[in-house]
Amino acid sequence: MIWRVLATLLAHYRRHPGQLAMLLLGLWVASALWSSVQAVNATAKDSYARANALFSAEVDQLTRRDGQSLTRDDYLTLRRAGLPVSPMLEGTLEIGEERLTLIGIDPLTLPNDNALGGNGDALTAFLTPPWQTQLAPETIDVLGLSRRQAPGATPTVDNNQRLPPLTLRPELPPNTLVMDIAAAAALLDSDNTLSQLVTAPGALTQPPDGYRLSRAATLASPEQLTDSFHLNLTALALLSLVVGLFIVQAALGLAMEQRLTTLRTLRALGVPAFTLTMAILLELLVFGLVGSALGLASGIWLAGQLLPDVATTLSSLYQADVQRSLVLPWHYWVGSLVITLGGLLLAGSGVLWRAARLEILALGQSQAWRLGYQRQLKRMTQGGAVVAVIAVGLALWLSRLPSGQGVLVSFGFVAALLLGSALCLPPLINGVLRLLQRLLHRRPLAHWAVADIQLQLPRLSLAMMALLIALATNLGVSSMVGGFRLTFLDWLDQRLAAPLYINASPSTLTPMLDWLDAQPDVDETLPTARGSVDLLAEKNARGKETTRERIALFGITPAPTITNRWPLLDTQTGRSAAWSALSARSVFINEQMAVAKQLAPGDVVTLETPQGAMPFEIAAVYPDYGNPRQQILMPTDVLVQRFGGDIASIGLVVNESADRQALRQALADNFDVSPDALVDQQEIKRLATQIFERTFTITRALNGLTLGVAALALFATLLAQARERQRQLASLWALGVPRKTLTQLPLYQLGGLVLLTGVMAIPLGIAITWTLVAIINVAAFGWRLPLYLFPWDIFITLLTALGVALAAAALPSIQLWRSSPQAMLNKGVV
Amino acid sequence: MLVLHQVHKTFSTPQGELPVLNGIDLTLDQGESLALMGESGSGKSTLLHLAAGLDVPDQGHISIEGQRLSSLEEPARARLRRQHLGLVFQQFHLVPSLNVIDNLRLQARLAQREDAEWTAHLLARLGLAGREEYFPEQLSGGQQQRLAIGRALAVRPSLLLADEPTGNLDEQSADTVLALLLELVAETRCALLMVTHSARVAAPLNRLVRLHLGRLEDPRP
Amino acid sequence: MSYYRLSAALIAISCLILTGCQETSPEAEPQGFAGLGENAAAFAEANAYTPLSFPQDHGPHPDYRIEWWYLTANLEDAQGEPLGLQWTLFRQALTPPDERPDPTPWATDQVWMAHLGISQGETHVAAERFARSHSQKASGQAGVKAVPFQAWIDDWILESPPDANFEDFTLSAYSGEGADRFGYELTLSAQGPLIWHGKNGFNAKTVDGQGSRYYSQPYLQITGRVTRNGEAREVSGKGWLDREWSSQLLAPEQTGWDWFSLHLTDGRKLMAYRLRGGGEEGGDYVFGHLLSADGQTELIGPDSVTLTPLETQVVAGRDIPTRWSLTLPDADMQLVVEARHPNRWMPTSVPYWEGDVVVRQAETQESIGVGYLEMTGY
Repeated sequence: MIWRVLATLLAHYRRHPGQLAMLLLGLWVASALWSSVQAVNATAKDSYARANALFSAEVDQLTRRDGQSLTRDDYLTLRRAGLPVSPMLEGTLEIGEERLTLIGIDPLTLPNDNALGGNGDALTAFLTPPWQTQLAPETIDVLGLSRRQAPGATPTVDNNQRLPPLTLRPELPPNTLVMDIAAAAALLDSDNTLSQLVTAPGALTQPPDGYRLSRAATLASPEQLTDSFHLNLTALALLSLVVGLFIVQAALGLAMEQRLTTLRTLRALGVPAFTLTMAILLELLVFGLVGSALGLASGIWLAGQLLPDVATTLSSLYQADVQRSLVLPWHYWVGSLVITLGGLLLAGSGVLWRAARLEILALGQSQAWRLGYQRQLKRMTQGGAVVAVIAVGLALWLSRLPSGQGVLVSFGFVAALLLGSALCLPPLINGVLRLLQRLLHRRPLAHWAVADIQLQLPRLSLAMMALLIALATNLGVSSMVGGFRLTFLDWLDQRLAAPLYINASPSTLTPMLDWLDAQPDVDETLPTARGSVDLLAEKNARGKETTRERIALFGITPAPTITNRWPLLDTQTGRSAAWSALSARSVFINEQMAVAKQLAPGDVVTLETPQGAMPFEIAAVYPDYGNPRQQILMPTDVLVQRFGGDIASIGLVVNESADRQALRQALADNFDVSPDALVDQQEIKRLATQIFERTFTITRALNGLTLGVAALALFATLLAQARERQRQLASLWALGVPRKTLTQLPLYQLGGLVLLTGVMAIPLGIAITWTLVAIINVAAFGWRLPLYLFPWDIFITLLTALGVALAAAALPSIQLWRSSPQAMLNKGVV
Repeated sequence: MLVLHQVHKTFSTPQGELPVLNGIDLTLDQGESLALMGESGSGKSTLLHLAAGLDVPDQGHISIEGQRLSSLEEPARARLRRQHLGLVFQQFHLVPSLNVIDNLRLQARLAQREDAEWTAHLLARLGLAGREEYFPEQLSGGQQQRLAIGRALAVRPSLLLADEPTGNLDEQSADTVLALLLELVAETRCALLMVTHSARVAAPLNRLVRLHLGRLEDPRP
Repeated sequence: MSYYRLSAALIAISCLILTGCQETSPEAEPQGFAGLGENAAAFAEANAYTPLSFPQDHGPHPDYRIEWWYLTANLEDAQGEPLGLQWTLFRQALTPPDERPDPTPWATDQVWMAHLGISQGETHVAAERFARSHSQKASGQAGVKAVPFQAWIDDWILESPPDANFEDFTLSAYSGEGADRFGYELTLSAQGPLIWHGKNGFNAKTVDGQGSRYYSQPYLQITGRVTRNGEAREVSGKGWLDREWSSQLLAPEQTGWDWFSLHLTDGRKLMAYRLRGGGEEGGDYVFGHLLSADGQTELIGPDSVTLTPLETQVVAGRDIPTRWSLTLPDADMQLVVEARHPNRWMPTSVPYWEGDVVVRQAETQESIGVGYLEMTGY
């Protein structure tokens, strides 16, 4: 019997294919956006997992205390002393635009349970010419090869050397080439130099004399670093899912209403309520499966489009490599299906409830709806109030959390804010409409228009709520991105003070400094340096905390060219005082460190120096956008002399008349550097801006798509009741309202409604922007941004929403215009 | 008042051209009431819609109060409709978003001819006094149709066009509504053209014509 | 260098070496135990026509595929408790001489592996080391020098004083830290001459003529200190140093061997082995060498030894013969050789059984010696 009932129910959609389309559309967009972001996340997780796979791959690392590079002699000396260290080389190979990480290892001494056994062939192939390049299948794309040609191929890299024959290792992370250290040393031309000496974690209780030991645990995994980023993506995807489900809910509600007679007839014909409910449930499942399949298919397509940008973001922000082709584990498919079906059941629960409690006789039904709607509005107001209280509670909680924490709480706050506002929207609109109705009492047509839109409100309210949420989020996110863009470009301008920069290896840069100083065209050399140090203790207003943590050091030359422009966020007694304090006893810290360790100017950090533990006062905090890690800043000479840092780059100020091309050539002639080692400031800015833009491409894309989904929700809702609207308009036409007036009425009605919603979305959007820049970004990236608002963008967003609303409203109008209203009066609708 | 001259109307259907009206001549004077009868599908409603300016004839012309409908643009036809015509439909066509009193005076207000006294009088005559704030769905069928009649007469039209006004009502309500309709028509001295298929309903009216195969026949010998 | 990339490397290598991935099929042609039966056409071939030449031959022979410096010792501690130990340095050439890479800093054509084992009673500890080197580079993480003799990997080292002429040695090898530390520090001195196994030190391993260059110093007297569980004790006893190199030690169908080096109480030394497969008509290939106490007289040649397992025990999931019958009909000797304890499994990358044994008269069960037994390919 249930199949017969189901067939009867489904017959409805044969007559109303539009409703079916709307239902599937809702499911489709909901599941497409959700599954695309989940696909992106799953792929990234897979990349991280490969990094952590097989072994708890943590290793301890040794570096020289005197800051010199490690060499083969260090390795041999330590081995002959019985220390189980293993040599490692790391470098970058460029292939066209792409950069690949090259790792050279010695499999014989790697800290593992090694085995030389029956696999002699594989080991020999790895260790001896022509050697092997091991890489993940995804990396092949970068090399411009097909997967079929790849095994055994020996592609050429940018320095005209050939890679050893390729061997595929699916378990390797992407964009990484692994080979024997001998082969890597030849490709990187590293001779006796080593990048790392590693040991199994805990194998050494203390570092050998003259060496520094970094424990595995102090190195953060990419997964920890990128968690917040993925949470951001998930939150946006969840939003689209919710908005999509609004469409589904609207479509289901409409179909239910129109089928009430059918349902009653079926009950009257002896179908039990349970069977009826099951049939509707079955119908939901059928739609759910079709919708999910559509959604998954397009979600995967979408994810494929988004992934390159996500991968760029992750690698430029967190140095985490993510492959550029999708990897979808089984739980991804199941998860997406469960989420879509779960959402559908949630959206359809009202319909199921109504079907289960359906009265066979329609007694009192039509009279009751108006009262019912009033009750619903009241419940919405109450619910909205409850959620608003929750939002306030979360805001209070947030205000008590130290900055840089509470990503989840902030998302909870934003969600509560959005939900509360959405719940309050229909009662609010209803109130405004009642007021208007009273005001417009003397103008029959306007009065009718207001009364009529009020009548439509029960059906439109869900779409309006979705629109409110999407508009507010859109405003919030675009203000955040826009504000970040302004701040970032400004910061870049200040940070890149020198017009030219030289990038090369430390061993080349150090002798270059003297040579550069002797050049008549060079006015000023501004070397920067990098290094790292063990942070031993930190002391802030709340007390002293001891720790042992590796922190990155950055050195700059505090010449006026730099100090006049270098951005600072916070100082103890002003900029100039901070700069004159920056010395062998005072340091600056970046915002990330200030946030993470809750340090402020005036606080003290104790660093391990070759002379033992030494306190340094923090003179200032500086912004450091795009850096995921904490950093301490000091003058270059201090970093090089006392902390064994390496010169990382040299900023150059040259004469107006200087011939840059000649300088470039002279550098290449005198030192072992390529002519591209000299980079123009503009070029760096361009690159940085490009990375920035790509970083937020996915945010923008998701943002736009969410608004698109909300527009679809509105459009679908209006489409679903277009016939009903036509009937209303036809009645008025019969009463002598000219057609032209009638076609304009819906535009005014809906335009007004959307404007009202849009106006409400503005303060909400600002609240979201604030939460993003002040809380979520600080926790996710470690930097806080000033709150910027862009009235023009807000205006454009509102205009767009209005445009969508008018386009949707125009549909019944156009139909009215094109077909004879008399036909409407005559048709079965009447 | 209402003159139809050689009116032809043909509809296009999937089965081909369907001639509905085939040269109709009809005159209705002020204060006169005319029952238009005929089988289902004979074109009664079409004729009524043409008379109301809701549709245009293929041939022939229609004038109301001396104005040829075909010479009027759509806005003018709409004005004519809201100022001089009252329409009553079988399905009432009340506005669900408006309450009883706003429904009642909707057309009068649209025509900017609201007469509060007359509206109040009508409300009382319709038996809806005290239910001004009710919404249409809270009324019985008879009440709804009385409200629809009231709405049509609130503007004091010169011509009332009624399409099966009692078709959706039970016999008793139908009699009450019909009696009220005729009383009010007499009171306002407007002309009445009523489409009906019921001889019982047609009986109290001044004249009766029957539409058969697209032409009018006078059933009286 | 991020944590992340480092782990990438670890994954690569663990896959490469531990699981073998898909590189070699398990159904491959038989290649003898640990690849020792692999065809070695491009390497130098062991033969009986070149006499051994010292001191050069104490050093490495990189043109040959495999080589080892193999010490076993039967010692006693101050309480008279027997204690066995092993120290072995293996060399394996990765490429034939004409395919060697240029000697850049990390280039490799030789891989070194060393094993350390200490056994007493039911306890047995072992450690393993690996290293790479290039045959054209003198110094490295591991290697062997003929004059003065030195064989080392990391801090494990067996060496002679400059003028010792391969007669006096010291050996030092330790593994682990703190309470887990074990190893030894030994002084060794030869009480007899070097013994050549076969004509010119060429020891045939199959009837087809595959074989190795093989000589021994079985007359070592040892004193020193052995550390286990961080605890040191004085020891003394007898030792046996084997030197062997070859490019194809086994025939492809030979799957393993059982190798005995025995110190008899009357001062005689007995070396005997059985190669499973590779004998006449597919039988085992058996060889024995009985030496007088002064090392001057060769008492028994090949073909006059029989070796028969009497009893097996399950060790590390395998059936291992722990009691053997060893008969030398020409010398009228019927011996039973028995492991002191079955737990002598070396859980190294190439796993095998290596442990101390007692020698008894088959008839009287009278103990007439001690020794070492190595069993591979089980």
